[in-house]
Amino acid sequence: MSIRVMVVDDHPMWREGVARDLTEAGYEVVATSGEGRQAVRVAPAARPDVVVLDLQLPDISGVAVIQGLRAALPAVRVLMLSASGEPQSVLDAVKAGATGYLVKSAAPAEFLEAVRRTAAGEPVFTPGLAGLVLGEYRRLAAGQVAPDDAAPRLTERETEVLRLVAKGLSYKQIAERLGLSHRTVQNHVQNTLGKLQLHNRVELTRYAIERGLDD
Amino acid sequence: MPSSPGGLEVPLWRSIAVFRFASLAYVGVLVLRDGHRYAHPIAAGGVLLLMLAWTGVTAAGYARPAGRRWPLLLADLGVVLAIMLATPWVIGRAALAAGVPTLTVAWLAGPVLAWAVSGGRRRGAVAALILGAADLATRERISQSSLTGVILMLLAGVVVGHVARLAVIAEERLQRAVELEAATRERERLARDIHDSVLQVLSLVQRRGAQLDGEAGELARLAGEQEAALRALIGRAGAAPVEDGDVRDLRDLLDRYASAAVQVAAPATPVPLPGRVAGELAAAVGAALDNVARHAGGRAWVLIEDEGETVTVSVRDEGPGIPEGRLAEAAAQGRLGVAQSIRGRMADLGGEVRIASAVGTGTDIELRVPRRGR
Repeated sequence: MSIRVMVVDDHPMWREGVARDLTEAGYEVVATSGEGRQAVRVAPAARPDVVVLDLQLPDISGVAVIQGLRAALPAVRVLMLSASGEPQSVLDAVKAGATGYLVKSAAPAEFLEAVRRTAAGEPVFTPGLAGLVLGEYRRLAAGQVAPDDAAPRLTERETEVLRLVAKGLSYKQIAERLGLSHRTVQNHVQNTLGKLQLHNRVELTRYAIERGLDD
Repeated sequence: MPSSPGGLEVPLWRSIAVFRFASLAYVGVLVLRDGHRYAHPIAAGGVLLLMLAWTGVTAAGYARPAGRRWPLLLADLGVVLAIMLATPWVIGRAALAAGVPTLTVAWLAGPVLAWAVSGGRRRGAVAALILGAADLATRERISQSSLTGVILMLLAGVVVGHVARLAVIAEERLQRAVELEAATRERERLARDIHDSVLQVLSLVQRRGAQLDGEAGELARLAGEQEAALRALIGRAGAAPVEDGDVRDLRDLLDRYASAAVQVAAPATPVPLPGRVAGELAAAVGAALDNVARHAGGRAWVLIEDEGETVTVSVRDEGPGIPEGRLAEAAAQGRLGVAQSIRGRMADLGGEVRIASAVGTGTDIELRVPRRGR
């Protein structure tokens, strides 16, 4: 069964180019959209496995799109594409549940590989994204955000792996250097994302309760 | 100092004109009351008309920015001085000694205020001293109250001059803030436009051209380089600048090295460092990247980490690596290699350098500096 992909990008030329690449590579492009709200609306009917999402859409933020998609389809995986890569919006999207990030200038082969890995549940990290996630854990640990001990922490091994990703090493190179299996390296990277997303959900819930939005 | 035509100075000039007319009305009341005691009452009427005419001339003259210059300021002082010096003859020395007020009374403060607003407190004080001296010279006997009048005029000149300067400075600051805001807005608008158009097309060109050979492939590569440079340029457009005094955001300095070959990874939040520390660190990273370009093919990864007390920057390449003992050998031969110059810079900052390299795996240079520098 082929992998179902939805492409959300407000640039028509891009949208069609990406859709064509995906179709040629054997993916099933089930929907394309140029707007965030429309994407969230059609997602339940289109049932994509992977959403390729441009972070800068004309109507709503990337974070809002990701939240809408995950509410409609809890199992959906989101791969962000971004042209300008504004750091805070990339980090916010990852915390909202995106599991992969790629700059738009990535080569087609790199892009197709990223879609494949996202569909398989593997996190797709650029060194830039690893740097952002590493920075976010340090910020949380420094107590600038949560003075209580709810802040998530990285294990020593996870920090080591994440630093090497940020320095541009591939999972294979990291596995060789640290004497781990490829799978273990991947798990470590996945955990760094998982903890951050869980923390984000807990924070959002707590915020909602404090504001009385839960009733 | 340039003052814009619509600035805060305008109301000051207008209030001086109001003061001159109001004080002239007071002069008129006094002339009507004391006219019969004057030595030359007809001449007093003539002087009063002259004062009215001069008040009109100054009100109209000072209303235009071009009129607030030396010709009118000097003429103003001269006319008022002449009227004051005519006072003893018009009123008569006997009447003055008997307690009849002078012709000008408070009206003589007009030029003092004009000088103060046009040139600050020093100019106001000079005008007050000249007019005050003339006032005292016209009297037979210097009474306590006339001395007090002169002192008050001096104070008025100094205070109004000071306030006028403050107003001009405040206006200039406001102007600068408005300009800065406009520039920031323009930059954000440009960033949005670039993102929506140029960046998308450049990415597409690079993406489509990557599979082509020869010249087209080269064009695609060039498009990619420009795309990376533009992306770095506009990426931070929306973030608040951290340049508080001498503090720089290290990310801004190192982002300049980003290109198709050099990736820069950093936290999403600013990495503030004292300007000198940030500058030295950036220069050391630049030296390391130059070395990568010369010996290791140019592809490199830069990672910025903020550890609170310290900041670490790593520069990694996948070049041939540095053979063991090579650095020591260069130092022994008295040659100052890149590593030495980087070590020197870091030592000056109280930081440290760790170089991990082996043949075949490339080189990883870590620069760690304490936040405060030394």
